[in-house]
Amino acid sequence: MTAPTPPFAAGPPVDPARIDANWRAITFDLDAPRPSWTERLLRRVGVPSAAARLVVATPGLRRSWFAALVAVVVLGLGAADPERPTESMFTLLVLAPLLPVLGVVLAYGDAEPAHEIVLATPRRGLHTILLRTATVLAIAAPVVGLAALASPAPAWLAVAWLLPGLTCTLAALSLATAVGPRRATAATAIGWLAAAAGMAGAVDGVGRLAVFSPASQLAWLAAAAVFGGIVVARRDAFDHLSPASGTVR
Amino acid sequence: MSGLANGPVTGAEVLAFGLRTALGGRVVLDGVDLSVRGGLTTILGPNGAGKSTLLRTLGTVLPLDEGSLLIDGLDPRHETDRIEVRRRLGYLPQDSGLDGGSRVFDLLDYLAVCKDLGDARTRRHMIGDALHRVGLADRAGDAVADLSGGMKRRVGLAQALLGAPGLLILDEPAAGLDPDERARLRDVVTERRGRATVIVSTHLTSEAAHSDTVVVLDRGAVRFVGTPARLTAAADGRAWVQSTAPVGPVRASWQQADGWVRCLGDPPPGASLVPPTLEDGYLLTVDRPVAV
Repeated sequence: MTAPTPPFAAGPPVDPARIDANWRAITFDLDAPRPSWTERLLRRVGVPSAAARLVVATPGLRRSWFAALVAVVVLGLGAADPERPTESMFTLLVLAPLLPVLGVVLAYGDAEPAHEIVLATPRRGLHTILLRTATVLAIAAPVVGLAALASPAPAWLAVAWLLPGLTCTLAALSLATAVGPRRATAATAIGWLAAAAGMAGAVDGVGRLAVFSPASQLAWLAAAAVFGGIVVARRDAFDHLSPASGTVR
Repeated sequence: MSGLANGPVTGAEVLAFGLRTALGGRVVLDGVDLSVRGGLTTILGPNGAGKSTLLRTLGTVLPLDEGSLLIDGLDPRHETDRIEVRRRLGYLPQDSGLDGGSRVFDLLDYLAVCKDLGDARTRRHMIGDALHRVGLADRAGDAVADLSGGMKRRVGLAQALLGAPGLLILDEPAAGLDPDERARLRDVVTERRGRATVIVSTHLTSEAAHSDTVVVLDRGAVRFVGTPARLTAAADGRAWVQSTAPVGPVRASWQQADGWVRCLGDPPPGASLVPPTLEDGYLLTVDRPVAV
């Protein structure tokens, strides 16, 4: 006498490998770590999960960059003088445009985790860089802006550094396509500080802020357009290893 | 050139012709031709032969100086073609740069986003599967910086597997792996080679023995293309043992564990020939002294 076929064996055969794969997917859903609080916050305010992941992974947002941000605010407010409210903002305004340069350009290339792996993905390097620039500015702008507003200086100074900051970032990115991110950052910082100090040294009083005046802002806008054009024209450089950046041995 | 013996050949088609690259004034690739579709191809060569430069070029991360490269008929010099090639590519560079404080899962998810692999849930399943394949399913929440060198290498392999790409380029994937990890790597590669074109570099002949095709690269040029058996056969009648160090000119000689001196080159009359190994064939193919 043979044993009756149990009813549960009567169905169509199920591929054990598929069961295994499904089980792994379910258990991994439970095991996958929760996103960080910054990422959860971004998703709660409506940022799509992929964009939130890219923003959180911005390599420039290291402890050293936040330290630089704090240093700029502390130095800037330390120099504030109620007797000369406008011109004493010089330190804060002249240092702030370097923050996006440090956060975007200096953190690019071989300083970036998994740089070569990311290059081999379909994501365009220029898109990533623009997203990082926006991210870094989105953090620096309110912090520096509030610091400026907290001082006795006129309110327009809170945003006076933004355009020079964007121009410096685009200038450094254009340079980086030729000489690599480190030398580009150094050259841009020296160039900017020299320009600001040169224009400030010539005059006294409120004129020290000549580099942020409306006429200068127009010049910065024009320069941003030129450097932006160079960055777009040379965007292929952000999709490849650059012999100039020292990543190719 | 070499598919699997049974079934249709699948995987990306890689056609390279006359690849030439100079870095810092030094010619690193000197006219490399390559034609691969499906199976496992191992690029074998001494240190400094140009293996990494070749894989970086095939992996589209290093722009082409001279020559032509077509992957599935697409030319990586054009932006739209390059992006399409990168959608079909899994790439593990020699120096993967996998460090920093982020967790294994977060890093892989970031790379999955860069690879455009779908919504959060799809990516999570792909990452779970890739981590399972490399034996790191229980490490998803660990900081990458806390992993051993071999584990980081496996995370690198996991990211290359994401999305089951038709072209898998792995630069020295076995470097820093212990024997168990190497066996697992072999397993993963064997599983993939039936569905993808897998190109792997190594400077170890033992790693090349398992491939469908071996390409010997030396001083930026291809010295041999064929099966491991054919590379071994290149040393037929050119390997022998003797009791003393050779006096005449030989290609290479070294003392074996059993005390005999193994010699490669043109044997003297009456030499006791021995069956060649893959390493013998390799050493006779690269025409410069190589430390053994």
